[in-house]
Amino acid sequence: MSPGAAIAAIVVVTAATVTIGALGLRISRTTSDFYVASRSVSPGLNSSAISGEYLSAASFLGIAGLVLTFGADMLWYPIGWTTGYLLLLVFVAAPLRRSGAYTIPDFAQLRLGSSGVRLTSTWLVVGVGWLYLMPQFQGAGLTVQATTGAPQWVGTALVAVVVLVNVVSGGMRSITFVQAFQYWVKLTAMLVPLAFLALVWRADGSPSPVAAEQWFAPLGAVTPQSLYTTYAVIIATFLGTMGLPHVVVRFYTNPDGRAARRTTLLVLALLGMFYLLPTAYGVLGRIYAPDLVDAGHADTVVLELPGRMIDGVGGDALAALLMGGAFAAFLSTSSGVTMALAGVVGQGLGRRGPWRVRLSAVAALRWAAAACVTVPLALGLLAQPIPVANSVVFAFALAASTFCPLLVLGIWWRGLTAPGAVAGLVGGGLAATAAPLLTLTIAPGGWLGTLLAQPAAWSVPLGFALMIGGSLLTRSRVPADVSRTMVRLHTPEGLRLDRS
Amino acid sequence: MSEPRRERITSPLTSARTHVPRTVRQEIHESTGVGEVYVRSLVRSQLRAALTVVASVALTIGLLPVVFVVFGDLSGVTVGGIGLPWIVLGIAVYPAVFVLGWLYVRFAERAEVDFAALVEASATEEES
Repeated sequence: MSPGAAIAAIVVVTAATVTIGALGLRISRTTSDFYVASRSVSPGLNSSAISGEYLSAASFLGIAGLVLTFGADMLWYPIGWTTGYLLLLVFVAAPLRRSGAYTIPDFAQLRLGSSGVRLTSTWLVVGVGWLYLMPQFQGAGLTVQATTGAPQWVGTALVAVVVLVNVVSGGMRSITFVQAFQYWVKLTAMLVPLAFLALVWRADGSPSPVAAEQWFAPLGAVTPQSLYTTYAVIIATFLGTMGLPHVVVRFYTNPDGRAARRTTLLVLALLGMFYLLPTAYGVLGRIYAPDLVDAGHADTVVLELPGRMIDGVGGDALAALLMGGAFAAFLSTSSGVTMALAGVVGQGLGRRGPWRVRLSAVAALRWAAAACVTVPLALGLLAQPIPVANSVVFAFALAASTFCPLLVLGIWWRGLTAPGAVAGLVGGGLAATAAPLLTLTIAPGGWLGTLLAQPAAWSVPLGFALMIGGSLLTRSRVPADVSRTMVRLHTPEGLRLDRS
Repeated sequence: MSEPRRERITSPLTSARTHVPRTVRQEIHESTGVGEVYVRSLVRSQLRAALTVVASVALTIGLLPVVFVVFGDLSGVTVGGIGLPWIVLGIAVYPAVFVLGWLYVRFAERAEVDFAALVEASATEEES
């Protein structure tokens, strides 16, 4: 695609995001404005907003790149990212909304009444968020480099700065409808070019992709390691979705538990609709742009295809549409995650007052946002880029090893205690953070490398085992008000029951 | 030995409490044994529904990797020019996941309606 079209698309999306963020600031000034307005968000709007925030660069660009490179095995990523919401629906959606918790640390506090669990989960939210943000920033750098020729740090820094400006100005708080709009932007930006590309493909005589046999068949070159990897990805994505910070925050905006369930059901439909598309781009890429794999630019296949298949202005226009969608994906997900992180960290700062200075809620939020963006930005600039869909799975693995046990056991098992929860969070968390760090730094080979590259299959059972075992050993610490909490989590709001 | 004189013991009707039916809501409020049982049975039925969904996912989607390994020939089957794995993993999984979710929501809402009916029914008794 021509650099001019790419730059135009980036400028338009960035300007629109900043403008809408500024408008949002005027609409809602206080946190209570935000809360009250949010509680009336209908399932239709809310599910679009959740999907809009959730479909990140990993979905928009990453899946097609992985399919182009590795073939059928990679279809498990979008399946996992969708099925994650099914498990969220059955285990978490309604009870979490009924708990009234705005963040996971809030949930831990009200279920276990322990500031230790609260602190531990705050740190873990930050860890998950950083692992999620880093590949978004890196992906932005690679995308901007591949399409405009600018150095990699330009795109990375641009996204980080826009996100920071947005969150600091308070814009993201009020604009559920913008995130909702983003979903339809991304869907359109994928669907319309795909229709044209499909026509060209038909006109070319519907050529089949040319690839090694193992590209076509899942687990084509089957080894115990590849089977392990597939299941580890399944576990991480199925169980990790419920623990992502920006997902939990959105659930708070449902009016009640019943609406939370209906919202999640609609999310399943919206995500399923979207995830049909990136695969098609990956397959078309195999036909028209297989050289991207060796060039190391597989992640840009979605953006490259229009230019290669359609000459002239038409191809440029479609490429610009896709570039706009991709940039919208970088911005909306990064803003959502940063906002959620800043909320969690800001709560902590406001509560404690670092250096004995009392910060106002808004100031705390702004400092927290700055800190939350800086670290993944530095990591993104320094670390070796790996495919965006792969590295996002580290965030899912960490969430699945820590918050999945905390939420599932906290909601469904009366026996959970604060020491048990801390044991599980720390053990599962250490396992799931050490593994990607070792993979990124020393990258061991063989079975050890496989186990570390996809830790979820062993770190999730570890998290559950530590949490259950720790709770059984400290039975006397079961909160006295657990019965009342269960009433609050599981009974419909319409009933006038004592939920305090 | 003469038989002891038979004594008639009756409750003094004037000060006896009339029988007060206790409502489900009171039982739940006071966390009595009965209230616990109601809430526990609601939680248990919801958990059973959740675990049914998990088992369905594990036995269908969860087994697919193994199925494609064991029955390697399936990967060669094509339907309308598209390989079977691509149809199953790329398309068919998504409606299946949605249908499972829809069934779960229906069940969970019905369980809550039943629970609410139980609480509300005894509440109208209480008010009448």
